[in-house]
Amino acid sequence: MLVGIQLETRQTQRPSGPEIANEMSTYLQTVASERCKASFAEIFHYFAPRVRSYALKQMKNEAQAMELVQETLANVWQKAHLFNAEKGSPSTWIFTIARNIRYDMLRKQQKRKEDICSEDMWPVLCEQTASDAEVSLDHQVTLEQVGQLFSGLPVKQKAVIEAIYVEGKSQQEVADELGIPLGTVKSRTRLALQRLREMLEKDD
Amino acid sequence: MIKLHPNSQQLSEFAQGQCDSGVALIIAAHTDMCRQCKQKLTLIEAELAREAMAEKSSPDPAFDTMLANILQMPAASGIEVSYKQKKLELDGKEFVLPRSLQRYADKINGWSHLPGKLWQARVDLGIDGRADFTYMEKGGSVPEHTHRGTELTLVLDGEFSDGIRNYDTGDFIERSCDHVHTPHTEADEGCLVFSILDKPLHFTSGIARLLNPFSQLFFK
Ligand SMILES: [Zn+2]
Repeated sequence: MLVGIQLETRQTQRPSGPEIANEMSTYLQTVASERCKASFAEIFHYFAPRVRSYALKQMKNEAQAMELVQETLANVWQKAHLFNAEKGSPSTWIFTIARNIRYDMLRKQQKRKEDICSEDMWPVLCEQTASDAEVSLDHQVTLEQVGQLFSGLPVKQKAVIEAIYVEGKSQQEVADELGIPLGTVKSRTRLALQRLREMLEKDD
Repeated sequence: MIKLHPNSQQLSEFAQGQCDSGVALIIAAHTDMCRQCKQKLTLIEAELAREAMAEKSSPDPAFDTMLANILQMPAASGIEVSYKQKKLELDGKEFVLPRSLQRYADKINGWSHLPGKLWQARVDLGIDGRADFTYMEKGGSVPEHTHRGTELTLVLDGEFSDGIRNYDTGDFIERSCDHVHTPHTEADEGCLVFSILDKPLHFTSGIARLLNPFSQLFFK
């Protein structure tokens, strides 16, 4: 009558805490030294559902969560030699691998191109070198340059800009002082700023 | 001696990989320089791992295939990549950078000499906001300014003062729109800092006010 009934005792009497850490450490060392598939299977069965639970909270969908699990456990298999029991427990090591992979996956999904990768910040699997993204030489505008451009403005525009941005006066005050309509102050300001901007862009 | 550190909240977000990239990078560089934060981080990671690995998802048939696939993969070579230390060079001086920033030593777009005995090299990280190495020669200073956003600064070498207090190598400094400050240094060897800024500077005095309409251009 008992035929076909799965024995679940091993599952329910799983050791916990330091014991499981010791057990998993030993498996990791065996994987590192002998490429032992049975030891890896033990690690996999213990950690894959846990990493998946973490991944489901972090990623947008099921498929991405599974990708994160696969990547994490593949790294464990391939780089078990990098695990150092003196530095921390297997679950901390595997968590940090998952955290790094998650970070890089999310970074890749973003439209903007960020040139920072997880291993720069959290060296867990120190073998990775990031792709050398082309760095564009974009132009630096210095205080000196702005000063030079400023002196190139027509005298009337320069007076308005100086009064507003250096002396901190309002446009109305400048208008009263120079005896010109407020609209003229506004248009001179606008023209001056536009001109400076053009000069800066031409410099590029 | 390092007196200023990221707070626990910042370290925890960093450990979870939840900070903006620029912020994460500068926190990482600080922990490279700071034993205390490095130890704290190890504890935080262990705690996060304990929480994250406590729950497990229900069994999934896809796991069997996944395990089989992984076991087909070869081991990584295990060959140590020789680690060549890169230095940041400026005007005959060489600076050793913290590990996290090493890769950016040769990704600067050249040094610009600014008035006030300042040198600045922008680092293109591709982030929102900007990142710079700034070197102040002895007697150098930055025009008084405040911030529209948050400025995080890590002192990489030397020391400086900003009229509020003194800062030493390794200090992690956070400044926001509440502060008006005027950084300067009197140290003989000058001072090199790395900073991350999420919004343009807002200059508050003298000729530097001229820059405000253009701070977007500075900032691009
Ligand atoms: Zn610290």
